[in-house]
Amino acid sequence: MSKVFDKSLSNGCGSSNGCGNSNSCSSQPVNKKVPNIVTPLELHACMGLNACRGHDRFGTNTCAGTGYCATQTHVCHTLNNCAGQGGCGLFGDAAEQSKPGSNDCSWQGSCATPIQAERFSTLGENKNKSVWLLARALFEQRMDKSRRNVADAPFPAGPPQAWLESFGEYDSCGNSGDKSCSFGFNSPAQNTQELIDRSRDNASKQPEYDCKLNDD
Amino acid sequence: MARAIMGDGVTKITQDNLEEALQQAIEIEIATIPVYLSTYYSINRTPDQKELIKGFTKRLIDKGETKQNAATKALALSAKIMVFANRAGANIMSVVVEEMLHMSLSSNVKQSLFGNPELVGKSPSIWPAYLAGHEPEFPINRAKLSIEQLETFKKIESPVPIDANLRFTSAIPYFTIGDFYQGIEDCIRDHFCCKDNYHPDRPQLVPNRGYYAQNNIDTIYYDKQHKPVYENAADAGGLIHVVDQASALKALKTVVDQGEGKNVTDPFDDDSCHELSHYYKFALLQEELKDIKRQFQKEFGCEFDVENHFIHDFADNAETQDYPVTIQAVSTLTNAMYAYLFIMSQACYHAEEHTQFEIFMFGIHKSMLWILSSLCGEMTGLKYLGSDGQQYTATATFEEYQFSSASSPKSQIIELFNQAVGVNDGIAYLGQRIHDLPNVSIEGFLERSNTPLMA
Repeated sequence: MSKVFDKSLSNGCGSSNGCGNSNSCSSQPVNKKVPNIVTPLELHACMGLNACRGHDRFGTNTCAGTGYCATQTHVCHTLNNCAGQGGCGLFGDAAEQSKPGSNDCSWQGSCATPIQAERFSTLGENKNKSVWLLARALFEQRMDKSRRNVADAPFPAGPPQAWLESFGEYDSCGNSGDKSCSFGFNSPAQNTQELIDRSRDNASKQPEYDCKLNDD
Repeated sequence: MARAIMGDGVTKITQDNLEEALQQAIEIEIATIPVYLSTYYSINRTPDQKELIKGFTKRLIDKGETKQNAATKALALSAKIMVFANRAGANIMSVVVEEMLHMSLSSNVKQSLFGNPELVGKSPSIWPAYLAGHEPEFPINRAKLSIEQLETFKKIESPVPIDANLRFTSAIPYFTIGDFYQGIEDCIRDHFCCKDNYHPDRPQLVPNRGYYAQNNIDTIYYDKQHKPVYENAADAGGLIHVVDQASALKALKTVVDQGEGKNVTDPFDDDSCHELSHYYKFALLQEELKDIKRQFQKEFGCEFDVENHFIHDFADNAETQDYPVTIQAVSTLTNAMYAYLFIMSQACYHAEEHTQFEIFMFGIHKSMLWILSSLCGEMTGLKYLGSDGQQYTATATFEEYQFSSASSPKSQIIELFNQAVGVNDGIAYLGQRIHDLPNVSIEGFLERSNTPLMA
């Protein structure tokens, strides 16, 4: 079973004094320095979605699918600058939300990157299920078609929001508050674990996603 | 004239005035957008819960509670506010996205039957505003969330007449928006059954192009356990390509079902009974607001005002001229963005497929979701002294902005942005995205342009 690193319970949401940085995330890349490399980086949407060795933000991954973080970021619907850079799950219709990290063209991404583990889709067949897991499934399909091997992502269900925040300010759009949070009556990690579990439970039942998927 | 149209209390639309009625329907839908948005942006959806707990704990200890009891009760009270504030925001935003859908649906019907839906310059320019033709007329304010504002919302969406007495009006009169649409539907049913009446080749905002989504991250809120709750249902209707009588009637029915409800006794507008009609959404929210006020007054006394813990202190019907110069620049930019939204929307009804997609997705979505929303959010961080000497929070004024014909609206917006960022560099992050907007001329929809919209 996938485990989400817990964060200390916070009694605030969406404010600087609320769900801020967490000290509970212990899994971080050893070398955070951005390498000075000549080869252009593949621009992709999140941890575990890189198609090549060395193509994550830190340039330290050893295989496709093992990157630690996105090589580009943006904060809202239609703001991605290239194909494959859209996040998902926050804005956009059901079709758009069916292909995180696999948008066809610039400015057609459905929402912000990186995609935190806690993010869920708001429409379509993936509604109320993990965006990152869907993005990873699409990525693996793409790699399979290309006859590429992929390895496990550093976090098997995507990067926890607290981990992303440990690198600085992180914003994933919308006004309804943090995805990972507590009003004092729940465990954010448990909520996220439930999200992951129901996403995986339905994974085997999902049809292969394609661009023809429309509103449900 | 008014009595002839409403002799038996039901609006009669004829072949002679159907085009006028459809345009009036478009303008009714447009009029609701700045009203609902103004109230939406008055809500702080994510208050600082730690500060709430701290304040409530102190109050409870002062009342004589033990520290342990005070902390426990303060946590529960703060959670009530956290959930309600977010729910209020999701409630109103869920209606806003559907009002935009309604504007599109009524525009699609007019486009198919008569062409040329008019959107530019149709947003109310004088406040308080009044719904065209509504009997009785009642003032509609741009105002913060309150029980009174929700009462106005209920009047707008009321499925039954507020008062059945006719008065003089220059617009086609009606007692409820639902009755007005019923008159339009009856006319189409009786006189526009032939497929030749419809022109589906004309550009419309159609399904399956990403132009509409029932839910987004702002139409949800989190319950006490921080589980997401969706205000809208996926089966509650969406865009419809109007190609014949059946599709026209379906489009109009969608507007009424979502707004006033399927009938007086059925609060749901979807087949799965997950989504309330607008009237019942507002009625429920009003009752919940009353309830949370009572709860906190019971705990802390009748003078306690829970609303100021999550509602910004907007002045009613604020205008740009009410603001100091530094805020005026941001307000003017916001109004220009709002006006450009309608220029782009109207252009969609004159554009070929790919151009329409670019205008909508990279212009309208970007303007609405990102730029306009960001500006509205930024303004809630600005304070000013009103003419009454009271301090208020600034808000978008949604006033009509008149673009000059000397240059494109986009270039004028860029100039306004440069002026605004000069006095408020907090909005500098919007610059690149403003430059990314499509370049739609005020009159661009009148003739095919050879200039690419996008860089």
